[in-house]
Amino acid sequence: MSSNAYSHAAGVKTQKPVFFKVVAFLSTLSGWCSAGMTLVAIGITCQMIFVRFVLNGSTVWQTEAVVFLIVAATLIGLPFVQQLRGHVNVNLIPLMLPASGRYFLAIFTYSISIITIAVMLWFSYEFWHLAFTRGWTSDTVWAPSLWIVYSSLPIGFGLLILQLTADLAAIILKIEAPFGLEAD
Amino acid sequence: MDPLLLGALVGASTILILFSGISVGIGLLVVSGLFILIFDGAPSLALMPEIFFGKLDSFALLSIPMFIIMGASISSTRAGADLYEALERWLTRVPGGLVISNLGACAMFAAMSGSSPATCAAIGKMGIPEMLKRGYPEGIAAGSIAAGGTLGILIPPSVTMIVYGIATETSIGRLFLAGVIPGLLLVTLFMAWSIYATWRSGNQALMLKTVYSWREKFEILPRVLPFILIIVGVLYSMYGGVATPSETAAVGALLCLVIAMVIYRLTNPKDLWVVFRDSTKESVMILFIIAAAGVFSYMLSSLFITQSIAEWIGTLDINRWYLMLIINIFLLIAGFFLPPVAVILMASPILLPIIVNAGFDPIWFAVVLTINMEIGLISPPVGLNLYVINGIAPQIPLKTVLLGSLPFVACMVLAILLLCLMPSLATWLPNTLMGSSL
Repeated sequence: MSSNAYSHAAGVKTQKPVFFKVVAFLSTLSGWCSAGMTLVAIGITCQMIFVRFVLNGSTVWQTEAVVFLIVAATLIGLPFVQQLRGHVNVNLIPLMLPASGRYFLAIFTYSISIITIAVMLWFSYEFWHLAFTRGWTSDTVWAPSLWIVYSSLPIGFGLLILQLTADLAAIILKIEAPFGLEAD
Repeated sequence: MDPLLLGALVGASTILILFSGISVGIGLLVVSGLFILIFDGAPSLALMPEIFFGKLDSFALLSIPMFIIMGASISSTRAGADLYEALERWLTRVPGGLVISNLGACAMFAAMSGSSPATCAAIGKMGIPEMLKRGYPEGIAAGSIAAGGTLGILIPPSVTMIVYGIATETSIGRLFLAGVIPGLLLVTLFMAWSIYATWRSGNQALMLKTVYSWREKFEILPRVLPFILIIVGVLYSMYGGVATPSETAAVGALLCLVIAMVIYRLTNPKDLWVVFRDSTKESVMILFIIAAAGVFSYMLSSLFITQSIAEWIGTLDINRWYLMLIINIFLLIAGFFLPPVAVILMASPILLPIIVNAGFDPIWFAVVLTINMEIGLISPPVGLNLYVINGIAPQIPLKTVLLGSLPFVACMVLAILLLCLMPSLATWLPNTLMGSSL
């Protein structure tokens, strides 16, 4: 067994065109935003516990804010994790294929990934647009505008498509090895 | 089309898509989108983002990134090495002392980090070279750490248990408690095998070589106590009714970060970024799979696949233990190829109604399922822990790591059998401390 079948493999790195650098910057930025939102969620949860158990006060907005922050951190973090090859995958078929087979399989998997996420992006935009035009708010005392919360869907999927496109281009241009697996 | 045939088609397509090397989360969306498009029509695709969002819209999910940050901040420090050293100094005169302290350190680190690969890496980095230096056989040194690392997904707080709790709407508190006794049982079985294997290899004299003074034994305790106190505090506040798992996990994450920064001097922004980068990577990956599996399970349900499979199994009229055997074999095979989180999320909507109808306790089943997933972590072709060991101890051939892990796989199968014979091993503690769930 020459290689891990279940990988978060990193690809081969060489000098890349500007498009790749822009996408890499956006994905890294999204990672910072995602980590920042999680950190803020920790802070708000601790504040909520302090208010409830130490000050004996009631909390109104904290639970919902924390949930929305974690949802946004997940969606906004998608391109960053893709950039780090952190989305776990099972390389069983690629390991059984010769280098040329891997090359075409990688192009195929990235293509169907991009199409599927594009479908998610399109319907996310519609969902967000509906919330925006109809002024939906959440069904709580705090009642935040849901278009703000739902905006994480098209932003996250949009940035993920950019990162997936960059990854596909890197495979086609042979800048990166398919599935991070070197030719045997 | 007949829902059962459709179910088989979905199953085959999912396996093919997931094995193609596509990300598990995206792969689940691909399969879901494809079948919704073909059988429900294009307008139904509009529901996918809403379901995706809805799956993430839960306060219980907060515990996942929080426990992961707790684990990442502990893993980024010398806590693993300190824990290992502390146990080694205290257990040096116990037969098989070093391997026992390694397994003990694995169990404790697993409880602190909740991650199997992190436990393997943290304890193995210190433990394997030390065991090899003292003449332990390579297979025992590597196998004990690989197996010890798997305890991370069973001993609370475990991210895998949280995911099961969310997927099946089962109490996370109960699940955590259910993992305690089987976790200790597994540690005991692992230790028993290690002592026997070490004794058989004839290296007893080497094991007793190092003797520590009482001063050396006590001086290490302050370094390991803070993290242990946090874990005890987290578990106390959860079961003492002070706060929910998500709230305690957030406080635990904050305290672990503070301790890592104050006691272990983790103040360099680059080192801190590594903690956040790694935890973002892991939690986003898991939460993405959770949301995508939500869409997948919606697709299964809207095409009546879940209901039809449950009904079909109900009409089979087979012995429930035979059914459990088939389910275990299925889980074992799934665990060989897929990460535990993906198996739980994909299988639980189908398996849970079957399990409950057959009269099994879902809490007990969570433990059985988790041990099955543990076996997958040290079995080829995926066996994540095997590769972690291979990475930290490249001098040991992968084949030796694999062969060394096999007896521990047998211990896990034995644990599953014991759990089948005595289900109270898993259910007694939650029922005693939290009252009966039925």
